[in-house]
Amino acid sequence: MKRHPREGAKAAREGLERQLGRPVSRRDFLRYGAGAAVSVPALSAILAACGSNPRTTETAAFEVATRENPVRLPVIGEPIADNLEPEKGATLQLYNWDAYIWQHVIKDFCAEYDCDYEITTFNNMEEAVGKIQTGQLEFDVWFPTYDQLGKFVEGGFIMPLNHSYIPNLEANAWDVFQNPFYDQEWQYSVPYTVYTTGIAYRRDRIGDDEVSGAENPRALLWDSAYADKVGVYDSYRDTLGFALQKLGINDLNTEDAAQITQAKDALIELIDAVNVRATINGAYAKLPKGEYTLHESWSGDIVAGWGYTPKYTQSDYETLGYWSDPDVTKRPADNDLIVVGGNAKSPVLAHLFLNWMLDFQHAMDNFSWNGYQPPQKQADPDSLTSMQGLYSKISGSWAAPITYVPEWMSTAVVREDDLAQGLRVHELSPDGDQRWNDAWQEFKAGA
Amino acid sequence: MPEAPAATETPSRPEVPASGRRARKVARAEARKTSAWLPRWFWPSFTFPGLLWLLVMFILPFYAVVSVAFGSIDRFRNPLPVWQPWYWTTKYTGEVFQKFFGENAYLQPTFIRTLIYVGIASSILLVAGYAVAYYVARHAGKRKTLILVLLISPFWISYLMRMLAWVNLLESDGYVNRTLQLLHVTDQPIAWLQGKPITVILGLVYGYMPYMILPLFGFLDRIQPSLLEAGRDLGGSPTSTFVRVTLPLSKPAILAGLVIVSLPMFGDYYTQNLLSASPKTNMYGNLIDEAVGASGQGPQGAVLVLILMVMLLVPMMYYLRSTLRAQEGR
Repeated sequence: MKRHPREGAKAAREGLERQLGRPVSRRDFLRYGAGAAVSVPALSAILAACGSNPRTTETAAFEVATRENPVRLPVIGEPIADNLEPEKGATLQLYNWDAYIWQHVIKDFCAEYDCDYEITTFNNMEEAVGKIQTGQLEFDVWFPTYDQLGKFVEGGFIMPLNHSYIPNLEANAWDVFQNPFYDQEWQYSVPYTVYTTGIAYRRDRIGDDEVSGAENPRALLWDSAYADKVGVYDSYRDTLGFALQKLGINDLNTEDAAQITQAKDALIELIDAVNVRATINGAYAKLPKGEYTLHESWSGDIVAGWGYTPKYTQSDYETLGYWSDPDVTKRPADNDLIVVGGNAKSPVLAHLFLNWMLDFQHAMDNFSWNGYQPPQKQADPDSLTSMQGLYSKISGSWAAPITYVPEWMSTAVVREDDLAQGLRVHELSPDGDQRWNDAWQEFKAGA
Repeated sequence: MPEAPAATETPSRPEVPASGRRARKVARAEARKTSAWLPRWFWPSFTFPGLLWLLVMFILPFYAVVSVAFGSIDRFRNPLPVWQPWYWTTKYTGEVFQKFFGENAYLQPTFIRTLIYVGIASSILLVAGYAVAYYVARHAGKRKTLILVLLISPFWISYLMRMLAWVNLLESDGYVNRTLQLLHVTDQPIAWLQGKPITVILGLVYGYMPYMILPLFGFLDRIQPSLLEAGRDLGGSPTSTFVRVTLPLSKPAILAGLVIVSLPMFGDYYTQNLLSASPKTNMYGNLIDEAVGASGQGPQGAVLVLILMVMLLVPMMYYLRSTLRAQEGR
């Protein structure tokens, strides 16, 4: 029987014991705040609203899942039973990144299963973690990154899946997701989208050959010829990782202080060289408008960039280009997930929604809107640059139609090999994470 | 109810003007006399809702910030407040102090940069705001109400929305650049949004202008015209009357306006985020925002908040002292 984090002192104390790995004394209990939750409930409610969870403490990191060290997560809680009817007239609660799912696809789902839906959004994973950790969010479905999975499983914030409701995973998802390293036997998660990390650029200002033919294309961002027109993601793992690769270091999970310092120094040089800006929407929203010439970019961002061009014309679309490392073993590639919430009110509906999003047509419809590719077996990577998606077809706003991926941007198509052989970002140890954060803070301080 | 002796003391020394303290004492005694039938707690009880609100909405969150600053982080790398002071740790305070004053004091330039931006923005606000407030208070005549409504109108739209509007206005093909090009001020669009300190400063000036004008107007409008007439009767030119009468009298309003605009500017982060996003223009508020949003950095964010509070106490104390002195001098 799953327990809600706010189910009282006993649960809190047991949770603390589980995390400390030993029985807790009253002193421990009080120290970590759980005692306060028992003795002064009103006050604890106020304090809890300030962001604390009495069940959690500072402890060692979780086992880090890597391709070399696949992790089978512990089963905490019970999956739902087989053959249950979906909840009728329910409201499906989704917790998702901002602008990361096409509502048309959700509306179709709700029409099929007689439900309503609500989307709550977050801007970054830290924000999502903070809110979920309070235990006050009641969501049915949410979209985490895989490096956070272990924590949420142990915290009881994710429900183990009943595979009988999700036949589309086996039928449609790439082989690499049939038994992913971060969630062996996909006990908790299904894949949502896949993407690589590279460089988005304006083809009217810098030619394809200039980028792909450069000795070190990543170093183009440091070229003062593009001063004031260069952007990187406001994301410490992505951008420090980008700087590491510019220096020829391809370990995106390094905890080596010297290497992290080198990456930080390179980013500080970037400030002086080109007055770089750190943004989240620069690649997909600002580069198409001409505010940037070069921007670090996820493939999905630049694929969606055509929707932000000023006039939606073919010549506008053709200003957008994408480079990713031609060597697949040096190409950062990742995926996002969909999971069912630990306190889901409509768990059957949530399972069916996961299955819905793994359906070929629904996944591709969503892709046509958000630019992030679903890992679908039926989606031939070579045909994505010649097939038009639903979003492009149904809207009359565009001066020119567009394919799933623009034909001149085939480097933005993600292939299964990218996930199998590309560089993956893993969770860091607390000390390593602190080093990365300190380096990032020094860069952002603009010293 | 005991009679207040002060009430009988003042008439005995009519030749000596009552000092501020004595005047307040007299006023209190008069007030007691007129409301002698009320219990002692009656008037103080009016402050109860406000005090309760302050307690709940300020002191408890403030204590939460302190508990986070001296607390820890949990296994999700989120801040773990430690409520009991005897368990507090100075680990994160020490780390932040190292970043401020240690060998690699990389947070120091950000603070100095913020100080400069806020100083310049406040100066522009003071000059521009004073001129507007002076005009409205002294010369607007029948249009005073209309101008006041127009001054308040930006409050109808949130600060964030106004800044987003600025982003559109300042884009390469935005109206500002189009106008400048139309007037042949520039041939090429000016890259306002490409990490320029001037854009951030002007954004701050725009965003906080009403907060400067309103207190200045409120004070200037209450200056008795007889004082200005007296200045002129004594041979003062309009300029010298302004410099020797109006300006000194409006000093408390100037201080109030400066405090009202500069305190939030020190913590402002979205003006920089929206109008620049360059690390070169990062402000202190951005450091806090980024620390609070980053994995495992919550306690450091709380320490940065406390440092800012301590630093802002200095101008705040100066303002309170000046205000009290001005009241006593009246």
